[in-house]
Amino acid sequence: MERRSFLKGFGVVAACATLLPHVANAADEAKKVAGPNEMNYENAVAAITGGKPLTPSAKVVIVAPEIAENGAVVPVKVTVQSPMSDKDYVKAIHVLASKNGNVRCANVYLTPANGEAYFGTRVKLGGTQDVVAIAEMSDGTFLSAKQNVKVTIGGCG
Amino acid sequence: MKTLIKIKPKEYKVGDVVKVDFMAMHPMETGMRKNKDTGEIIPAQYIDEVKFLFNDKLITKMVIWESLSVNPLMSISFKVPGAGTLKVIAKDNKGQSVESIEQITPKG
Amino acid sequence: MRKLSVSATLIALALLSTANAEEKMSMSDADKAMYAEMLENNPAAMDVAEGEEMFERLIGNEAYAKMLGVKEKDLPKYLSGFPRVVKSAGKVVTIAQTLQMAMADRGQSVPKLESNEIIKMSAYVKSLANGLKTSIDVKSDKQMKEMMALGQEVFEQRRGGRGLSCNSCHSADIIGQRLRMQPLPDLGVNKAAGTWPAYRMTQSQMVTLDKRFQQCMENALLAKIPLGSREMVGLEVYVTNKTKGNEIQIPGLKR
Repeated sequence: MERRSFLKGFGVVAACATLLPHVANAADEAKKVAGPNEMNYENAVAAITGGKPLTPSAKVVIVAPEIAENGAVVPVKVTVQSPMSDKDYVKAIHVLASKNGNVRCANVYLTPANGEAYFGTRVKLGGTQDVVAIAEMSDGTFLSAKQNVKVTIGGCG
Repeated sequence: MKTLIKIKPKEYKVGDVVKVDFMAMHPMETGMRKNKDTGEIIPAQYIDEVKFLFNDKLITKMVIWESLSVNPLMSISFKVPGAGTLKVIAKDNKGQSVESIEQITPKG
Repeated sequence: MRKLSVSATLIALALLSTANAEEKMSMSDADKAMYAEMLENNPAAMDVAEGEEMFERLIGNEAYAKMLGVKEKDLPKYLSGFPRVVKSAGKVVTIAQTLQMAMADRGQSVPKLESNEIIKMSAYVKSLANGLKTSIDVKSDKQMKEMMALGQEVFEQRRGGRGLSCNSCHSADIIGQRLRMQPLPDLGVNKAAGTWPAYRMTQSQMVTLDKRFQQCMENALLAKIPLGSREMVGLEVYVTNKTKGNEIQIPGLKR
């Protein structure tokens, strides 16, 4: 790198770095406000499973970006391997954002008419965290999978 | 509440599993945001229930929370049983609701 | 001597963090593909649909084409060349300004450039040129040449307490360097001016190009150049010209 262009780049970093404390304050302030549906991860899982064990399984596939350049719109797709027959199907797919104030994102109640156990959406993430999918199977078991999403905040606006 | 329903792929046959994308224009307020000018908290307002029906039979019911992004997308799979009407009913926690309809017309 | 070693350390640290940033903070190709796929269900699609309804109700293709002095069938091509000189305006204007003119022609109260009506309608109207290439012609006449020169001046003008210009972050030789972890974009490559108005995910709303310029100025602590001013239109001319020949795809989707 040429010295001149490097110095220019450094100037750029300094230009916006001073905005950082401002951003941090805003984030702290936001933390003080409790949302209307606050619920932590443990309680949300218990509410879904009714205390039954939750088993991590390769049958549940959750796809979300490893790195999200903004936390406001993070795509999430969940697919569960299942024949989706009347006897053997996925009753529900639950999507949780493990560290949001209210970790619950969506509870999706499926039927065999879906043909495939799939749910796709976009979620808001308050910061870097695991996005968790829980599949409620027709035999009463609960399977899960998770994907860590690193939320990077930055840029100039 | 403006909505969009998309069936993918556009052409399908009876027995095919298609994707149904439903999008609604909604602020999805978390109840944790402050009005920049007044400093007051903007009350939570979010879509809390979405139902997908085919010929008035329930296929999928969703309970939705404020963590979904603004103008939320909800996408499901659907095994096409034949021609008919797909209806999506969305409502929010303030009682606003909207019904959207898409005709299912399989080819062959 | 001590000062020198401190700055040397700083430089070394800065270089190190750049290397790390490249490694750990960039989206993978799979991540990028997920966002590219989101264009199919752009959250701003409904804004554009609303803009269409408003445009049909308030103006309509026929009246709009007549006001611009073009045939209806030539509208898309004509729209791909904005900002441009419109005869009835007698100067270089943006699509948003032509909508104000059309409404004034019809005796309607004219919404501000900042208004939802103008933002949504201008997105819809520009989307009529989707698939075409940006065809701005900055050499077409004296007024366009002047606005191009003014735009370049605004782009390079250092302002504010930090003496920053658009060029401080967007000159060709620092493209790709990181500003608070985000790579600085090349304003000249595809997916730039041809894709505004766009949905800005960080703001959860659709934003126009001139409004984006204002947000940039705000974050660099510069006084905001007013929408619709000669300087702002000039800036839009200058930046749009960088993307001449690139495909128009409205609405875009931005971080």
